[in-house]
Amino acid sequence: MSRKTLLYGVLCVLCVPFVFPTWWMVTSSLKPVSEILAFPPSLLPARPMLDAYRQVFELQPFATQYWNSLYIAAVVTLGTLAVSAPAGYAFARLRFRGSNALFLMILVGLLIPSEVTIVPLFRIFHTAGLTDTHWPLILVPVLGAPSVLATFIMRQFFLTLPKELDEAAAVDGLGRAAAFWRIGLPLARPAVGAVSIFTFLHSWNLFLEPIVFLSTPERFTLPQALTQFVDAYGGPMWNVQLAAASLTALPVLVVFVLAQKQFVEGLAHTGLKG
Amino acid sequence: MALGLRAAARTAREGRTGWWTATRRDHLVGYLFVAPQVAGSLLFVFLPLALVLWYSLHEWNVLADTFGFVGADNYRHLLADPNVPKVLTATALFSAGLVVVNLSLALLLAVLLSQRLRGTVVFRTLFFSPVVVSLVAWTIVWGFLLQRDGGVNALLQAVGVEGPNWLRTGPTAMASVIAVQVVKNVGLNMVLFLAALQGVPKELYEAATLDGAGAWTRFARITLPMISPTVLLTSIITVAGSLQVFAQIAVLTQGGPGTSTTVLVYYLYQQAFQFHHFGYGATLSALLFVIVLALTVLQWRLRRRWVFLES
Amino acid sequence: MRITTAATAGLAGLLVLTACGSGGGDKGSAGPVSLRMTIWTGNADHLKLLDSIADEYLKTHKDVASIKFDTLPIENYTTTLTTQMAGGNAPDLAWILENSAPDFVGSGALAPLETLVKPEELAPSTTKLWQKDGKLYAYPFSTSPFGVFVNEDLLKQAGQEPPKAGWTWQEAVEKAAAVSARTGKAGLVVRDFDYKGWDNLATVWGGWGAEAWSEDGRSCGFAKPEMVEAMTFLHKAIFEDKALPAPGATADFFAGEAAMTITQISRASLLKDGAFDWDLVPLPAGPKGAYSVIGQAGIGVVKKSPNAAQAAGFLSFMTDPGNSARLAQYFPPPRTPLLTAEGLAKSNPLLKPEQLQQVVIDGIAKGRVKPSHSGQAELAQAVRAGLDQLWQPGADVAGTLAGVCTAVQPLLAK
Repeated sequence: MSRKTLLYGVLCVLCVPFVFPTWWMVTSSLKPVSEILAFPPSLLPARPMLDAYRQVFELQPFATQYWNSLYIAAVVTLGTLAVSAPAGYAFARLRFRGSNALFLMILVGLLIPSEVTIVPLFRIFHTAGLTDTHWPLILVPVLGAPSVLATFIMRQFFLTLPKELDEAAAVDGLGRAAAFWRIGLPLARPAVGAVSIFTFLHSWNLFLEPIVFLSTPERFTLPQALTQFVDAYGGPMWNVQLAAASLTALPVLVVFVLAQKQFVEGLAHTGLKG
Repeated sequence: MALGLRAAARTAREGRTGWWTATRRDHLVGYLFVAPQVAGSLLFVFLPLALVLWYSLHEWNVLADTFGFVGADNYRHLLADPNVPKVLTATALFSAGLVVVNLSLALLLAVLLSQRLRGTVVFRTLFFSPVVVSLVAWTIVWGFLLQRDGGVNALLQAVGVEGPNWLRTGPTAMASVIAVQVVKNVGLNMVLFLAALQGVPKELYEAATLDGAGAWTRFARITLPMISPTVLLTSIITVAGSLQVFAQIAVLTQGGPGTSTTVLVYYLYQQAFQFHHFGYGATLSALLFVIVLALTVLQWRLRRRWVFLES
Repeated sequence: MRITTAATAGLAGLLVLTACGSGGGDKGSAGPVSLRMTIWTGNADHLKLLDSIADEYLKTHKDVASIKFDTLPIENYTTTLTTQMAGGNAPDLAWILENSAPDFVGSGALAPLETLVKPEELAPSTTKLWQKDGKLYAYPFSTSPFGVFVNEDLLKQAGQEPPKAGWTWQEAVEKAAAVSARTGKAGLVVRDFDYKGWDNLATVWGGWGAEAWSEDGRSCGFAKPEMVEAMTFLHKAIFEDKALPAPGATADFFAGEAAMTITQISRASLLKDGAFDWDLVPLPAGPKGAYSVIGQAGIGVVKKSPNAAQAAGFLSFMTDPGNSARLAQYFPPPRTPLLTAEGLAKSNPLLKPEQLQQVVIDGIAKGRVKPSHSGQAELAQAVRAGLDQLWQPGADVAGTLAGVCTAVQPLLAK
């Protein structure tokens, strides 16, 4: 057996746990409940049916919820870029008193689980009259702990740009801010890509926060909606849940497969140097 | 945004003399650039943390609507709570297991994919794909697959192995939770490692081979030091993620069997939100915060010691 | 909703405001108010019925502008509800599960219900859990006894006679074991137990006269001889007779995957597709004879709601005899005049009168509510963690149960 065949073999085996769950989710959403629970599980539905998909839209305002998740994730992504790109640039390339201390301080946010701060955050937003709105789901990720990772990635990227760029900018009479805007940011496209992916996915997957902050089904986001497909007595409707889960995962997967070169390479170029 | 930046740039260019030196200008731009992030951290990280510390000095019963100062009572309870040592052990086990398995698998995949092979893009896409699947959907699906009569054991049976009841015995439950989390996120680290590996100059390997270094020596002496910054980045992201594991535990094991998968975040969630002990939950949050702070400082120190290329 | 002045307050002001445990809360206002009720059903038919009752109320009551039913996911229902209360966003009315009843009733979170229509109609067994000092704190709008649904087709395949009222646990296990041995489907499923929701096992150990804790809630019952006997029987039924699916196996009776299931009768609506012949019989008798168990849900008025008076008014309307009869098609009512086989048959077309009489009416009359205690969530967690060791072949039943009591007794004594 050649080394190549061996490598392919290893890769194929390793692939199974990565691919099988998604495959199972999608195919099971086309099965009746009894077949989903059968052992051994069937690889393909015996008689595929789209019943569950119809129910997804009948039981919940699913299209509205889809839109909510989509627009919130988009706004959060743009907002995070606006906050983290200048911050990352400043931490990487500008010298100012206390920059290290400030950086270490915001780094704390990177490691704070949201369960820790959810109650005080809820009280803060309730005091401001903003519960059951999308504001907490936008403001906290853009300004709070989740955006710290974005700033961190941005900083790591800007560290890799050669010093000479700054000198050249100074010779051209560009100030620091202009150097960031005209030179730094255009060069940072891979980092921007990476941050966009991280941020979008983070917002798209948010689970605890929507459950705590939102109470009107028309304002729900997708992960929250997934848990709402239950029968009259709270028992989960497995096929409908899996159909809804497939609907939330597939478009993102398709976008990812189409744009994966940009995705992956954007991500890749950020971690190059520490 | 653009306007603000141009204005800042203009002031920066115009005032270059006297008190308004280049250094001061740099300082100002620096502060302006980090201001939103710092203000956001104060408002949405440090203010809530301060409130949590304040709550931890109180007995707060949400249902009875009582909120009374109890001083250090909750902290005394923390020291006496027989569950805390178990919970800390589970947390350490989970985080250590996750970081080790995640980083080694990511590195292994990256090394495999950096071989010159046709179709690596396909494999790369497949390994990365769970990253974009919704976490809740992903865990629900794995909950099914890991049942005694689930898909995982069906696959094992096909190759003649009788699988255990994954989520119902202590060691396999912990291993399952770690594995589910690793498969979900390892693609991210893999991609970062892939890029780092491409950045290692080929000449180094050639020189080492001439010196008679074997594959392992080359890996340990050249590859690892050269990609150490990426190892730092990925370990920070992974440690952070490991301390925040929640939906996975809630969906897969609810902290069981026994308390074997009750990690600190889950325990504090139980105490605060399920058992209505918000004051004690806040105390556990404070403990978590101390751990987090220690880790952050530790990682920051390690960076200087250990990372090869820090600018 | 009144927006407080916090937006203009400085950080310190915000800190004080938010640090105050009791929170500001909205002030009652003179104009019509909006009511919010948290519920856990997301079922479209249920919501339609609730909305239609609300609409009728709004027509005649100008002091209420709107009534909103907020569905919270059942998985985290109580947790989400208390999080909202902790955040200062308490609903006006809340639907409460039986297992958190002692917490809600005992803590003073609910306002006493004093304006109910014909409260004397309520069956005493249904209100016990929701009372304190002679006052009722929640209306037990769903009182659903446990029975055994039987898949007659599967039993026939396994050559077994379908069970009849008066059957015993011995027979139940024999039939279930035969089904699992001959058909490969599951025998008997204690629904929602899944080796975690142990309170559902009250439907088993009741036959042995065992209980999780004493009537006064002070002493642990898990190590008592009758409990050890019941659990030894159950353990053998699971691991030796294979009459119940083992831990980690899922079998849905309503999808035709199990011969029998113990669950609340309200689940009958899941059978409307009619994929197999089925029956509903009372729980089998144990060594201590016949018994029955009920599960409950109540609706209460949250005391801190500024609209508590209006909320109580709506609750009285929603649960008056007329509306109770309408709700009865989904939720077995606590009102005795409605608890007749003929009356229930009208709103439960799937069930035959004798099934309703044996399981529902007799069940509600003498049923014991599933175990509940103040601090239930913490107790439930401690018991679950302790029982985990029991669910393995060859477990030490008496030893494990003694361990459960060691863990639980300090919590009961609190």
